[in-house]
Order: sequence, then C-alpha cells, then structure tokens
Amino acid sequence: MSERIVVVGFGPVAARLVDELLPAVRTGLVQLLVVGQEAEAAYNRVMVAELGVGRTAPEALAMADAAELEADGVDVRLGVKVKRIDRARQHVVLSDGTNEHYDRLVFATGSRPVIPNLTGLNPDPASPVLPAGVTALRDLRDAAVLREAVAGGKRVVVLGGGVLGLETALAAAEEGAQATVVHNGPFPLGRSIDRGSGSVLTSSLRAGGVRMAGNARSTGVETAGPGGSFSALLLEDGSAIDGDLLVLSCGVRPRIELAEGCGLPVGSGILVDHHLRTYHEPHMFAIGDCAEVRCPDVSCLDCRTATGPSGLVGPGWRQAEWLAEYLVVLAQDGQEAADALEALPTEKPGVVVLKARGINLALAGDNQADPWDEELLEAGAASGRARRQISQWADPEHGRYVKMTTRGGVLEGLVAVGMPRTAAELVVLFERSSELPADRSLLLRLDGPDQLDSGATSNDPQRTVCRCAGVSAASIEDSVLEGCSTVGEVSKATRAGTGCGGCHEDIKGLIEKHFQATAA
Amino acid sequence: MPNGADTHCPYCALQCAMTLTPAASAAGAAPATSSDAAPASPATPALPGEGAVPLEVSGRDFPTNRGGLCRKGWTSASLLRHNGRVTEPMLKGSDGVHQPISWDQALMLVTAAVKDTQKQFGNDAVGVFGGGGLTNEKAYMLGKFARLALRTSRIDYNGRFCMSSAAAAGNRAFGVDRGLPFPVTDLDSASVILMLGSNVAETMPPFVQHLQGARDAGGLIVVDPRRSATAAFTDDGGGIHLQPTPGTDLALLLGISHVVVHEGLADTSYIEANTKGYAAVVRSLNAFWPERVQSITGVPATLIRETARRLAQGARNGGSYILSGRGVEQHVDGTDTATAAINLSLLLGLPGSARSGYGTLTGQGNGQGGREHGQKADQLPGYRKITDPAARAHIAKVWGVDESLIPGAGLPAVELLKSLGKPDGVRCLFVHGANVVVSAPDTNAVTQGLRSLDFLVVCDFFMSETAVEADLVLPVTQWAEEEGTLTNFEGRVIRRRKALTPPPGVRTELWLMARLAEMLEAPSMFSDDPETVFEELRLASAGGLADYSGIDYAMLDRGEAAYWPYPVGSQGTPRLFADGFAHADGRAVMVPVTPSKRAVRSFADDSLALATGRLLEHYQSGAQTRRVSELLGSQPQAKLLIHPGTAAARGIADGDYATVTNQRGEVLCRAELSNSVRPDTVFLPFHFPGQENANRLTEAVTDPISGMPEFKTSRVWVRRAASTTVSAAPAAVSAGSGLPLHAKEAS
Repeated sequence: MSERIVVVGFGPVAARLVDELLPAVRTGLVQLLVVGQEAEAAYNRVMVAELGVGRTAPEALAMADAAELEADGVDVRLGVKVKRIDRARQHVVLSDGTNEHYDRLVFATGSRPVIPNLTGLNPDPASPVLPAGVTALRDLRDAAVLREAVAGGKRVVVLGGGVLGLETALAAAEEGAQATVVHNGPFPLGRSIDRGSGSVLTSSLRAGGVRMAGNARSTGVETAGPGGSFSALLLEDGSAIDGDLLVLSCGVRPRIELAEGCGLPVGSGILVDHHLRTYHEPHMFAIGDCAEVRCPDVSCLDCRTATGPSGLVGPGWRQAEWLAEYLVVLAQDGQEAADALEALPTEKPGVVVLKARGINLALAGDNQADPWDEELLEAGAASGRARRQISQWADPEHGRYVKMTTRGGVLEGLVAVGMPRTAAELVVLFERSSELPADRSLLLRLDGPDQLDSGATSNDPQRTVCRCAGVSAASIEDSVLEGCSTVGEVSKATRAGTGCGGCHEDIKGLIEKHFQATAA
Repeated sequence: MPNGADTHCPYCALQCAMTLTPAASAAGAAPATSSDAAPASPATPALPGEGAVPLEVSGRDFPTNRGGLCRKGWTSASLLRHNGRVTEPMLKGSDGVHQPISWDQALMLVTAAVKDTQKQFGNDAVGVFGGGGLTNEKAYMLGKFARLALRTSRIDYNGRFCMSSAAAAGNRAFGVDRGLPFPVTDLDSASVILMLGSNVAETMPPFVQHLQGARDAGGLIVVDPRRSATAAFTDDGGGIHLQPTPGTDLALLLGISHVVVHEGLADTSYIEANTKGYAAVVRSLNAFWPERVQSITGVPATLIRETARRLAQGARNGGSYILSGRGVEQHVDGTDTATAAINLSLLLGLPGSARSGYGTLTGQGNGQGGREHGQKADQLPGYRKITDPAARAHIAKVWGVDESLIPGAGLPAVELLKSLGKPDGVRCLFVHGANVVVSAPDTNAVTQGLRSLDFLVVCDFFMSETAVEADLVLPVTQWAEEEGTLTNFEGRVIRRRKALTPPPGVRTELWLMARLAEMLEAPSMFSDDPETVFEELRLASAGGLADYSGIDYAMLDRGEAAYWPYPVGSQGTPRLFADGFAHADGRAVMVPVTPSKRAVRSFADDSLALATGRLLEHYQSGAQTRRVSELLGSQPQAKLLIHPGTAAARGIADGDYATVTNQRGEVLCRAELSNSVRPDTVFLPFHFPGQENANRLTEAVTDPISGMPEFKTSRVWVRRAASTTVSAAPAAVSAGSGLPLHAKEAS
C-alpha cells in the first residue's frame, strides 16, 4: 500500500510541491490529496495586484490545473476546508463532511492579510467582514474589485507603506487611478531601508503620480459611499483622506490555527526543524508562509537569529522542492535514507525587488548603518570577524541612491533606487555572497553612459577598422596614399570591408579624411 | 591539375561561397598578389612553414555571404601545401616517433588491429569518432562503415559538443531539426532579431550582413554574458544587450516569456491553431516574473519587459526572429534552454510564419548534414532513429543486407570517450575530422583514455594534438582537393569542388573506407566515388525527415537552391514549417521547462564562472588556423578575458600570466583586462592546446536528453602566475616542421 500524503492548502507553494510529487503519484509510489479552500486551483498570488490594475488576465495566473492533476491520479478538493486534524487517528476532517486518512500531512496554509484595528472594520481577524469598497487584495475576487476602481479612474487609498502597498499604488496610478499611500513614519518600507533611499523613493513615487501621506496614523473608516461603501480614511489628527476604494496593505500573518488546534507548537508560524518537520510529530510538515523554521536545538546558531516566515514566495518554493524529494525518498527507501538527505539550507534574508514599471528599487538585508555610525558598524565585529563597511551614492536630484553594506567585502545589506543595472548586479552579488570589487564605483558605473568599452574610436592608427579581415586604419591609410580612392579599391588592396561590410562607412571616412587633408 | 573551381569555404556552417583559381606564381615562395579581376588574397608574407600557396581565394556572390569572406576564408589556401602536412601514413614507433609507412602496410595494420580487438573483446570494442566537418558523403559512409564493416554500435561525433541540444529541442518541439528552417536572407527584412548566445561577428562574420535590417530598426537584441563583438552591434541605437550571469539563460527566457503571456502579447490564435501544451507552459511561466528573474540573472526587469515587447511588436510589424547558438545550448540544461527559446517563439507565433521565425545557428562546416546521415550513435541516414524497426528495414534494404546486421544504438560522444580503454569499453578507435584532445570536455581525462587504447587511428592532414597520440596517422585530402556536398546552416545542400590535385601520398576517406571494407569482408557496397555515394545517400534518405532523394549533383552544379526535405518530384523546402510541423498532427509541442537545481549555483568563495568560446581568427581546435601565419600572428596564444575589478582583487595586471584552475586541471596563459566580461565571469577561447587548453577545465557532465557537455559555466579559480614559470613569447615557427613550438602536435 503506497503512502498517502495530504496537503492542506493549494496556493503557489503547495502547487510546487504537488508538481514535484507528480512523478511519484504517476508511478503509484505515493497517493496525494490536496485540499484547497478557494474555488480555484493554485494561482500566482504574487501577481494579484497586477491583475487588479489590468496588466494581466486571470487565466495567465494559473499555476495548476485540477482536471489534469485528477487525470494524473491526484485527489483534488477545491472549495473545501480542513476543519480539524485528528492526530491520534491520523485523519483530517473536511468541510464537505468526509474524513480522510493521512500517512504524511503537509501544512501549506499560507497566510492571511492583517486587518488593522480601525473603527468601521470588523475586528475579528479570523473571519473579517469588510465593508464594500474595502479590500485586502489577497485573492482573485479582491483583484476584480480593484480592477473596477482602476478602470473607472477612481480614487484608491492604500493603507500601508509596504512593498505590496507601493506596488499597488504605483501601478494603479500608472493605469489611471488616483492613488494615495498612507503610511507610518517619514518614509515607506519602514526599517528595510534607510532615510536616504526612503527620501529618494518617496520623491520618485510622487513623480510617478502617487500621493504620499507619511507620518499618518489612521483611526477609522468612513462608510458614507453609495450603499454604505467606503468613502474616507480617518486619521488621528482629525483629517480624512477621501477615496472610493481602500486597499489594506498592512502585512500578512501565518495561518496557524489548524496546527495550533491539533496541539502542534507554534511561534509566529508553525514551528518546524531543518527537515521541515513539526516538533514531536515527524510525519507532519509545514512549508511556505505558514512555516517557521526554528529547530528545537537551542545551540543551533542559524535558528537563534531566525526571523520567522519571510512572506516571500521564493523560500517557500525551495522548501516545496526540498520536501518533495524528502517525501519521495521516504516512501521509496525509508526513514534512514530520507534522514541522510542534506538538510534544507538556511535561507538568506530575502531580496525585495519592487514590481513596478516606473520605479526601480531593490533592497535586501540590513541597511540601517551609515558610513560614520561607529556603533552599528562595530556590531557583530568580534573575534576576528570584520566590521561592517558602508559605500554610498546619493543623487536625489536625479532620483538615484545606492547603499552597500558589506562585511569582508560581502554584502550584508543593499538598497538601490533608480539604478536598474546596478541594482540587478548587487542582487546577484548578494544572493551568491560574492565579494564586491574593491572599487565599489565600478558597480555604480553600470548605469552610466561610459560603461561600455570606449573602443578605439579615436584617431589611433593601429585600431582595427575591419574586424573580419583584421585590417588596421594605418593599412587603409597606406592604401589610400598608394592611390585607392573608393571603398572597393581599398577592399581589393587590403581586404578591408570584404567580410560583413560593416566598416564601409569607416573606410569612406578615412578616404575622405585623406582627401580633405590633401585639399587643405 | 584542375583549373580552379567554384566551391565553398572549408570552415564554418555559413559555407561562404568562394572561387579558387591557380595562383599566378604557385611555384614561388611568394604568395599570389591581387589581380584586378576580383578582391583576391593580398600579399602576406608567408612563414616558411606555409610553403607556396597554390590557389588564390576570392569571394563569390551567394545569398549567404554575398561575396564576403573573413580572414579564415581568405587565408584558407595557405594550408594546402603547408610543410607540416601529413602526406604519408605515419606509424608511431616504440620510441614514440611517427615514421612513414606504405598505404598497404597501413591498411594491413588497421585490419589486423580491428580483427584482433574484436576477436578478444567483441565488436563494440572498436569505435569511431566522426566530425561535423566531414562531407555528407563521408559522414554517410562513416556510419555505414561502422555498422557494416566494423560491425560496431560505437560511433558518435563531435557534433555532440555542438548541435545536440538544439537538435533535441527542435525534434521535441517541431518533430524535425533543421538549423534555420528558412533561407538566411529572410532575416534581412526582420525588424527584431534576438540572438541567444551567438557571437556571429567573430564566428561567421559575413553573416552579420543579415542583421543590418534589424540594427537599422534598433531591434537587434543580443543575450551574452560577455560584451562580445556581436553584442557591441547593439550600441548606438542598434538594440539591446542583455548580459545575464552565466548559466541563467533559461531563467531569462522564462522571464521574457512570462511578460509575453501576462501582458497579452501572445499570439493566441496562432497558438490555438498550431500548438499544443500551451496551458501547461503558461502555468510553468508563472513563477518567473521579471523582478524575480532579475534576481537570478542580473538582467534588469525593465530590459526583460522591453525585450518581450519588442519581439511582440516585431512579430506584428516587419518580423521577429529568435536565433539560438552554443552559448545557451552548451549546458547541462541546454536542451531545456533551447526549448524555452522555442516556447517563446511559439508564444509569439513566429515559427512557420511568413516574416518571422526561430532557428539555431549551426557551427561546423557540415554541422547540419553531418547530423543527418548516420554518424550519430542513435541514428540512421535521413535523420532516422536506429531503434525504429521501419527505419532499420528501409536502410537494410538500401544496403542490401539483413536487418540483423545493423547494430543498435551506441554511446553518445562523452560516454564513448569515457569508455576508452575501460573494461567493456572501446579499445581500438578511429578518429575522423575531430581533435578531441583539444575539443572534448575534461581533456586531461580524454588524453588518458586515448593513451590507454590498444590502437588509435587518426585521419587528418596535420599532426593534430589527437594525431600525435595516434598509433597510426592516415593522411587525407583537404577541401580544395575533393568533391562532395555539404548541407549549410539553412539546410541547403551545396557542392564542394576539387580545384587542386592532392599530394601523391594523400587519399580521400571514401577511398580508405572502401579499401578497409573490402579487407574486412564487409557486405554491401563501399564506393570511393563521391557522386556514387551521394546517389546511395539519396536512396537511403528517401522517406526520412532529411530526405535528399530529389537532389543530384547535376542540379547542384546548375546552381539550384536545394533545401531538404527534397523528395523526388518535389521542389525542395526552403521554408520548412510553412505548412505545419513535422509531428503527426501538424502541431508544434510546447514543453514546460524550468531551471535545474544545479543551474542555480552559489559562488560564495572567490571562484569564477568560466565561459569558453571562439575568436574570429581561429576555428574549432585551431588545428588548421594555428598553422596559418596571418591568423596565428594575430592571435598567437590564448588570453584570459577578465574584468579589471576581478583582476585587481587578484593582483593581476593586463598582460600578466595567470593560472586558471579547478579539480580537473590548470590553464596557464596571459590575462587581458576588459570590462566586456562580467566581474563574476572569465572567458577563454578554446582553440589552443597544451597549457592553454580551456577544455582542461570543462566538466564531462552532460545534458540528460542531448548528451551535450557543460562548456560554458565551469567553476574556476584564477591566480596571478609567476611569469618565470612560463615560456616567454609565443613560439616562433620553426622552419623545418612549419609548426609553432607550442602547438607541436594536433587536428
């Protein structure tokens, strides 16, 4: 009898797990049951804001096809909730009234949006009922609501200065809505960035058509719109920001109730070890937004500094790939073989690249230290470990800002605004923990007009004019001196221009130069 | 002596048309001077080794090259009477020195070696390694010779290092593999051309003419980790250069495709009518939004979006083409990367449409024809599968033998080379038109394999690095001394013609195979006449994917443009997909692909990615071009291209000697500082032997589908070398041997 794996949740991370397990399902090595709460099979939640502003279509977001999975032998239940888990009997109780046995269970329950405590919103975080005109922009229905507002050129108020909030506001503004971002603190993105990048970013967002309301504390919503829908966001100082749609973008929280309800240890997420196993229950696993990798071993250095679920999908996909391999080895070769697999590598701090058309922003790691900030620079520089170093470039007039925080030449933090090539390069260097060039300005110049080999466009007579035949300017000039006066004649004499012909203009120029000099 | 000939260049797959005429003063040491008639080879002082140059080369008008030639073509005739040429069979003595023997002795030795080996170790202990430079006739005959005369399954060729990934992807998607499924001149009118890992400005310079239209429209998009000469064409409004970190091409293509799907740029009616697998591909693309791809590749998301939009715009106005090259194909995920490029082209509706398309740029002179007629381990003539009973029956009938005499599938090149000298491996090897000591991955291991053979026969015209290892070297004709056909990178069959009588001791490979077949008492017929062989090839290919049955020498000699498939009674097929694809239902297959875990590698230490590639002046292993004084003089030695910042961190200045090492070997060469490479990447040309041999560092791991090795992302460490440990300047040419000292052997 093959092992039965039950996957709770059917978002992008679960979809990857299912994909990776498919070959084992087809051969009958494992049986797979996937339970998804939404009516649709997994789709790309990362793109929901793009969908909301009309930049993609719902059908393009699909990450799984329930019918095809069923044809492959996967049991897919959509629009069904897992009500509870009976660990003693090893079965799940589903909202459709059935009980399903599991040998292994994987939590991929993801996260839910944080609903802020505002007058006028239902404060029950588990099942918020939002008034019309208020959305947390999490699923396809939310996207449709935003789509309508953007298409109608309506006023969209985004509460929250996080990445998703900024992306939504900017895209909405670019697609014709009037967008306002309301956020705490002097600049958006909070402690992920520093003051310099925050200021440049704020200016860039404004230039992109987004109203920025900083240092704003919201207290409630006014629902005086048609049919009691949202009409304004009320602020602590008594002012109000009028709008037609309020997008709540205040972060997410792992969905852990189900795990908690069956007695599994949880922190901010479901606690799992480096094999993604829940504590004390090695045949239950958690991946993605709902999982918090923090092993029970108090001496584990990686876990001492772990910060809980990142909210990014990349780490979830890596977990899904790893777990699929583990589960297959487990089913095929047993526990010992599975435990012999290399544990999942610890994730680096996540990289954020703003999904936006008009603004380029990349950030990762810790960006708080400034070049002269001794205390922060020395932090962690003990027992031979190098101290932090900062390199910085600020050009607010042109919307450009870069800060590189390094230790031993390797990036610990980066933030780049308005410099796409530099940002792209820094992110790759960060991801690979590669050492930066000692001259950091090399990285800045990637976005400069001088980054290309200048080539020898000068008057250097030794420069190669015709690459195909390897002919120098000097040889061509000699042939002109000897009487060649057309490109054809130069070609005959020197072979210059007889390959791709790309240098004909250049040869002509040399001939003309000669005759001009003679005439003068 | 024949009085000159219209033929094509001996080197790459562009097969530039040229005319060879007897040199004015063939007897003297001085080369021909230019005449008024045509742009001919101008006077270049020949090194003593080159001897007299017997023929003058001039460019000939032809759609591919339009009269243009590159330096390699212009100087090609200087090897014909080169003093270093092998003109007699050479047997290695017990002292390791090769001494001339007669052809009779040579043939007896080979026959005896084959018989002894097979008697002791079985038929598969004899192997054949062929080449993508052999004519169609030779390639066809080599496959037949291996199966019927040597009775071995162990035959494969160096095209495995070249076109195998593109071929596998093409077959999977389209049901057929022809490099360009359209005449190259179709590119002239394109407004957008996406070049994936192909540096045509150096590898086939006259081809660049066909990019001009796209450059003028600002639509040349070049993907290359290096700012190659081709990438530089995107300057000044010519287009866009995308510079991904090595090994991330697949992710980049998925990112571009993602934008096409999500921005509604896909040609949905084309997809509906002509493809299958679309939905699964769309799902697989979802995870590759531009910002994520930027983090993987280092290519800014804005450029990824712009590329997608330009391609889509071009597909609607003027035409868009996607062309792939070895840069994206020579990887362990090369087949999947080529597949991603094909998927992108299918999303945009390019293949088979009137003014757009997808193609792959074949590298070797007969890289196309050479992969169609049976020198691949799994293949029979006409691009047939050796495991297909119908194919076997057809070929057995043409050959007049019982089907059971045709062995099954053998081993692909890398596995074949790994088996050399091993128990159950190959113990006696024939090498034709290949120089594996320089060109195969992990060449130190390959050399050890060759040395552990019981008998190695190498057919070549020079003492290549591989020939030096041989027990027996057999001298064969050069291109200007033989007749035959090649199939260029468009799938157009062209004629190679004889312009010169070969030196007395030199034979054609057809002659050699015919004699050996006779001595080995092979069934069927082995002609040494190229046209007779071609007539047999026509019959063998009839009904196959690469059907040549309607083509004959007379037609080619009349100058007719013959594109396969060309069944009898047809007009040939210039545009392969005009009426659908080669799968039974006429649809192209879209296969979802994702980067393998191996592709996402961390370089946390100070290692660098090594990419290998070509220089304009040299061809493949350099066995020929390193013997041309003009070419060697211009590029006498390998140089490691390294970013100034990367070099500075290692204390390396421009021109310093550097060592490039990994667990497989070490290369020692000069460093050239340039910001044309990424700081995390170094580049080495692969044309040089010995301590400059880049393939000492490449790994013999292969693509699971195509058998292609990983040539482009070896992990290496670079250090400054003490210059005292190396011989100083590049070696001069010694008058006697005509060979540069640092290239004292080779093919």
